[in-house]
Amino acid sequence: MADRAKFIAGVTAGLGRTEVLSPISITETAGFEDAATAKANADKASTDASERSIELADQMAEEAAKAGWKVHRASNAEDAASYIARICVEKKATSVLRSNHDALDQIGVDAAITNTGATLDTTEHSGDYSQDQIEKSKSKAFSAEIGITGVDYAIAETGTVVLHPRSGLSRLVSLAPPTHIAVLRPGEVLDSLDELFAMERNDFMSGELAGSMNLISGPSKTADIEGTTVTGIHGPLEVHLVILAG
Amino acid sequence: MKPLTVNFRSKAALTLADAQIQQSIEHVYTGFFKGRLTAAGDTPDWEDLRTKGKAIKDHTIAHLDYYLGLLTDNVEKNGGSVFFADDAEEARQHIIDLAHKRKIKTVIKSKSMVSEEMGLAEAMTDEGFETVETDLGEYIIQLANETPYHLIAPAVHKSRADVAKLLDDDYKDGDRVPDATELTMMARKKLRCVFERADMSVTGVNFAVAESGSIALVTNEGNGRMSTTVPRVHVAVMGMEKIVPSIQDLSTMLRILIRSATGQRISTYVTMVNGKRKPDEEEGPEEFHLVIMNNGRQKLLEDAQMRESLNCIRCGACLNACPVYRKVGGHAYGWVYPGPIGAIVTPVLTGLKDAGNLPSASSLCGACHDACPVKINIPKMLLELRYRTAEGSTAKEERTSSAKERGIWKAWRMGMMGRKRFDIGSRIASIALKPLSRNGWLKKAPPPLSGWTSTRDFPAISASSLKSILKKRSGGSK
Amino acid sequence: MPENTTATLRPDRVTLFASCMVDQLAPNVGESTVEVLEYLGVSVDFLNDQTCCGQPAFNSGFRSEAYPVAERFIDLFEKVKGPIVVPSGSCAAMVRNYYGDLFRDNKELADRAKRVGERLFELTEFVSRFFGTDAISGKRVGAATYHKCCHLLREIGVDEQPVEMLTNIEGLEYSPLERADVCCGFGGAFSVKMPDISSAILDEKLDFIEANGSSTVVAADTGCVYQMQGGLRRRGSDVQVVHIAQVLAESIRNSSTSEAKR
Repeated sequence: MADRAKFIAGVTAGLGRTEVLSPISITETAGFEDAATAKANADKASTDASERSIELADQMAEEAAKAGWKVHRASNAEDAASYIARICVEKKATSVLRSNHDALDQIGVDAAITNTGATLDTTEHSGDYSQDQIEKSKSKAFSAEIGITGVDYAIAETGTVVLHPRSGLSRLVSLAPPTHIAVLRPGEVLDSLDELFAMERNDFMSGELAGSMNLISGPSKTADIEGTTVTGIHGPLEVHLVILAG
Repeated sequence: MKPLTVNFRSKAALTLADAQIQQSIEHVYTGFFKGRLTAAGDTPDWEDLRTKGKAIKDHTIAHLDYYLGLLTDNVEKNGGSVFFADDAEEARQHIIDLAHKRKIKTVIKSKSMVSEEMGLAEAMTDEGFETVETDLGEYIIQLANETPYHLIAPAVHKSRADVAKLLDDDYKDGDRVPDATELTMMARKKLRCVFERADMSVTGVNFAVAESGSIALVTNEGNGRMSTTVPRVHVAVMGMEKIVPSIQDLSTMLRILIRSATGQRISTYVTMVNGKRKPDEEEGPEEFHLVIMNNGRQKLLEDAQMRESLNCIRCGACLNACPVYRKVGGHAYGWVYPGPIGAIVTPVLTGLKDAGNLPSASSLCGACHDACPVKINIPKMLLELRYRTAEGSTAKEERTSSAKERGIWKAWRMGMMGRKRFDIGSRIASIALKPLSRNGWLKKAPPPLSGWTSTRDFPAISASSLKSILKKRSGGSK
Repeated sequence: MPENTTATLRPDRVTLFASCMVDQLAPNVGESTVEVLEYLGVSVDFLNDQTCCGQPAFNSGFRSEAYPVAERFIDLFEKVKGPIVVPSGSCAAMVRNYYGDLFRDNKELADRAKRVGERLFELTEFVSRFFGTDAISGKRVGAATYHKCCHLLREIGVDEQPVEMLTNIEGLEYSPLERADVCCGFGGAFSVKMPDISSAILDEKLDFIEANGSSTVVAADTGCVYQMQGGLRRRGSDVQVVHIAQVLAESIRNSSTSEAKR
């Protein structure tokens, strides 16, 4: 087995050196910006997101539609909840799974869904870390017909919803059910990938980097058969983006 | 994977004669190539992004030892394990041993060219593990018992009828061929059950972020997300060069990778994993293993002329741009990496002696260089490898040119070293070819030009040189 | 490449580098090149001792054979002053972009090569840069299209300038060739070493040429001209593939006013 020291020493030798040199960061790459710079960039991104929230929400709607999201601009909380209920009815959903995002509490989606006759479950952690419980969670997600989440961020540049799976937000709720609905509030949209990674970097520098992150830009798709694009290969076949008014 | 580069010419010939594959490969141009052009055209700072991407990769490779150390420290800090594999066999064996130790039954694989270097899926199946490729294209070729045809679209050479035969047990020749949607839904159904029961996954790594110990996966299907979520054990395999220093670098790299690969602004999914699942998570792997593989990349690193090839981010843009790849297809290249990038790395990684045809299979058109998101100068490296096969410049045993060929170029040089002999030689050739020519063209030329006239007329050599013509013209010659 | 048409910077004398192929296979291209330059008021010298830039051997990997031939090229051409013009993008690329690599173990020779390269131009590059793409007006009736030779396009950076020059010709009905920037499959020795692949690439190019319907295909490198013409002839096609120097020279001869632009 190759041990670390030997492996890396080989690389050092391959580079024509005898010892590892700490790189001088160069300005053309992001380099290792210090914590203060990282925070400044993140603050700039947040400020931008809130100051231009309407413009960014409009851009998000446009780009998300291009990316294959079915976009609904909700006039108010009730409208959002009833849109979601309509989808449950359309899909004849009997089992719906939702995350613990605040946005979903805000629009009072629970009642709207249960009124359709569907069973609603949340990805609330039971505090049980047994393999058995984990299998139960998995089955819940695989058998749900609709998965509903809020967003942690959205990216206007690409029509992307960003999720950081954690307690109360499972990885599978936006992946396993054939339909995924994401509810977006104004102020959650960032301009571009640059702003997202500025936020992520700042989280990292403050020791708070999320365990994982998913960028979702439309329904699952593939073009592996004759170059023909088909939606819904492993992930959701249909994705909805509900954008709440400011 | 055992290199079969020595069969390049014969495999190429088979593909050239296969009308169905020729039609299928067109997608690579009309879809991916055109897509990249459109995406690049829509991106106002595209050239700046390429410059930045090249700078990130140059910098990373120049300090690869440092970043490998940093990456390892951070993966371990996040509770993961790092295994350093000198070669593909070591990597493969480690993963197999791990699977045995953890009593794994079902292994799901997400797309990884590095795992192809290991021949991993086949080996794990032989070891008794149910091993399933989950990327649709990889799944198709797994069923067909073939190797990938393209970096991004492994089954690009398969027709719908081919796929139907593989996916649908009831399909017979002559039946109505299901459309792509029907076939895709068949695969979705079959693979969904596999996802539910998988206990180990092996994924690739698009970018490993040194400063945080994170890995980023770029997919469209959702199998990458499934692979980093459902099983208890997640193994990520990477070539040692697939590192970027900082989280912020992902912004640039994702932009140039995805637009160059498929023309999309962003792939459907980008997944960033910072180790195994956190204590408060409902699901996710209990264990995260990162296998960092060398497998000959050392040789590329040490080779000043070839080192730039380590900047490759495996987008496939060079394949899509290459007029040769689009005719000979992926299998002719005989190993894991086809197309222009394959033509430069395969000879160094698997031996120039058997792979000598690969760098010669190029018109040096430069389309690959144009297409590369990180501006790798592939033509320069093709020429370098040609130098080695022709003259054994780096190592005598790499010279595979025939004595005949060396003789021809020696004679050529002698003929070019003086104007008189240049003229005399040309006049002799002109006279010699005259009986074979009509109206200034030859239908059949003697060797070494006979290859030309197998498919094209060859021009007669002029009776007079430009020098004599200009001399006759008044004024002008010195 | 930025066009510079300031009269004061226009050269009035150049040295012609024919390229070995033009010199011995297609001297009419060389003649046409002289005609075009003289029309623009540029007098042309021809170094009688010239042979080849060394590219064929270099591209095949035989650098030990290419080296003396390339060194001879530099010895010869550094002795002349002023611009050197060559009717070939690939030869221009060899001198400007690849001599550095060929001479990498000889810094002094590499520097000398660099200085020669700095004043060496491909024909259409020279005309468009110093005189403008509208400098040659002439007449040549017929439908024509343009194939973008790879080295001229990607190594020298000449893209649409020749098209602009063609559309300036009276009677020439220009239509763009689909996939004009895709290789014709020539690649020098590649065309003979791997003729099956070279021809497959050529077949696609010829299909697009036939679909275009023009009676003339214009290109700026003789190797490509022969690859395409040889293939078209083998198909029994009447389409003519002509070097741009010849097209420009013909149009000058045909034109009713043949005064040189100053």
